[in-house]
Amino acid sequence: MAEASLPKKSLPKINKVDEAYWQGAAAGKLLLQKCKDCGKLQFFPRIVCVDCFSGNLEWIPASGGGKVHSFSWVRVPRNPAFKEDVPICYINVILDEGVIMESRLVGTGIENVKLGDKVKVAFQETANPEIKLPVFELAE
Amino acid sequence: MRRKKVCFVGYGSTEYSRKSESPLLWYYAEAIRNALRQTGLHKKEIQGLSITTQVSPDYSPHVAEQLGLEVDWVLNGDYGGSGGVMSVRRAADAIEAGHVELIVLVGANSFDKSVPQQRLLEYQRANYIDVYGYGGPNTLMALIQRLHMEQYGTTLDQIGKIAMAQRENALNNPQALFREPMGFQAYLNSRMISDPIRLLDCVMPCSGAECVILASEEKAKKITDKLVYLVTDAEKSHYQVANMLPDKTTFGTKVVGERIFTEVKRENIDLFEIYDDYPIAVMIQIEDLGYCKKGEGGKFVEAHDLTYKGDFPVNTGGGQLSVGQAGLAGGFLHLVEALRQLRGEAEGHQVKKAERALVTGIGWLNYGRNLGTTSALVMERRK
Repeated sequence: MAEASLPKKSLPKINKVDEAYWQGAAAGKLLLQKCKDCGKLQFFPRIVCVDCFSGNLEWIPASGGGKVHSFSWVRVPRNPAFKEDVPICYINVILDEGVIMESRLVGTGIENVKLGDKVKVAFQETANPEIKLPVFELAE
Repeated sequence: MRRKKVCFVGYGSTEYSRKSESPLLWYYAEAIRNALRQTGLHKKEIQGLSITTQVSPDYSPHVAEQLGLEVDWVLNGDYGGSGGVMSVRRAADAIEAGHVELIVLVGANSFDKSVPQQRLLEYQRANYIDVYGYGGPNTLMALIQRLHMEQYGTTLDQIGKIAMAQRENALNNPQALFREPMGFQAYLNSRMISDPIRLLDCVMPCSGAECVILASEEKAKKITDKLVYLVTDAEKSHYQVANMLPDKTTFGTKVVGERIFTEVKRENIDLFEIYDDYPIAVMIQIEDLGYCKKGEGGKFVEAHDLTYKGDFPVNTGGGQLSVGQAGLAGGFLHLVEALRQLRGEAEGHQVKKAERALVTGIGWLNYGRNLGTTSALVMERRK
């Protein structure tokens, strides 16, 4: 009885718009959308191109590299299931492709994170073996 | 009543199917795309959006974000089967008033079971933010505060001053949930929630409600001799939505301020009721309204007295930070406080010269940027 009421770490509600993104992540790929009509690169996954409104979008692999744009050490997560991970280094990254992304910094040395630090994508396992989360680690 | 200058310029339909599970967002987009094709309009010419649906996604600003629409008017036409006509009426009002020239209105349905009744907020937050263990809006604003501090040298003294001045304003406000004086050490040492956002940077959620009544001038004169006029108002939703390298420290309030201050002068505002989910948000709105340059908000608050007795009165009843945040009534708290002030009814925290007030609203922290909805209005007491 008590088990059923324990909060679980948030997992994505994969839907028809972002299915391909999560399949990519499960295979260790960070995918961005590219508009086939105007070339716009965008994130998060959408049903339209934010520049020209075309529905002709394709998925392209990002290099996985980027820089820390901002960060916050989360002490009180919205979902209590994350309490065991506190403090969580929540970040905004500017990917090398010139696209901002929300994520989390994990791995060694993150206590010293600074704005502008170079990062590289990694894929974090979750409670669902079919879902991996794109996260970031400090790069050399 | 008879409309004078509002026209229908085009339309767009999608195919219909008995059971399609294509995403609702696809239906919105496809209908709009067909209308854009017919009229030859580009997506960036869309200045307003109205959505009508009974399935998720059904928050109009969130649909705007999903469709990459940075708009100056947005509506949820949630009137059931009357949604088409009633949203047209409201859109026509906006066009006749001169707020916008072109509005797209769309109604849609889908049987997409992959999103069972979840609010659209959950698309971008659930899948791309929540999964990382964030601390709610506290974290999203913390990212912005950190940038402001590192890029511009803004200090905790400066940010804390806003919280402390508002607390002073609350001391004589019987509605305020927090009426103990706040010193800087108390602010600085309050529990860290999402670094650098502390407990005393956060509002206290509470129950409550606020109401305002608007009337025509003619009607108003029969009701009260405390005549407060709505002078001018503006809004901007999802500023920078299509810019993948956005400036997180500038809100849509910048555009709003530019519009407001074509009608009134900055120096003629006597008091400021600024939406205060966090002190840094108040500081950024002061910058974006043009009272100082971007990045100089810290120096500005240092140089001014923000209490109700001061030269730049802000959140004169304490704001949400000291009164409490009754959910989305929070956006009304500032309206009511401004009215109290202009009517001379703010006993214990009355600004001496209270003829003209500026009230702002900001809402819906969005993905990778800042506030999805931003707005402001000016009200003026006339004898």
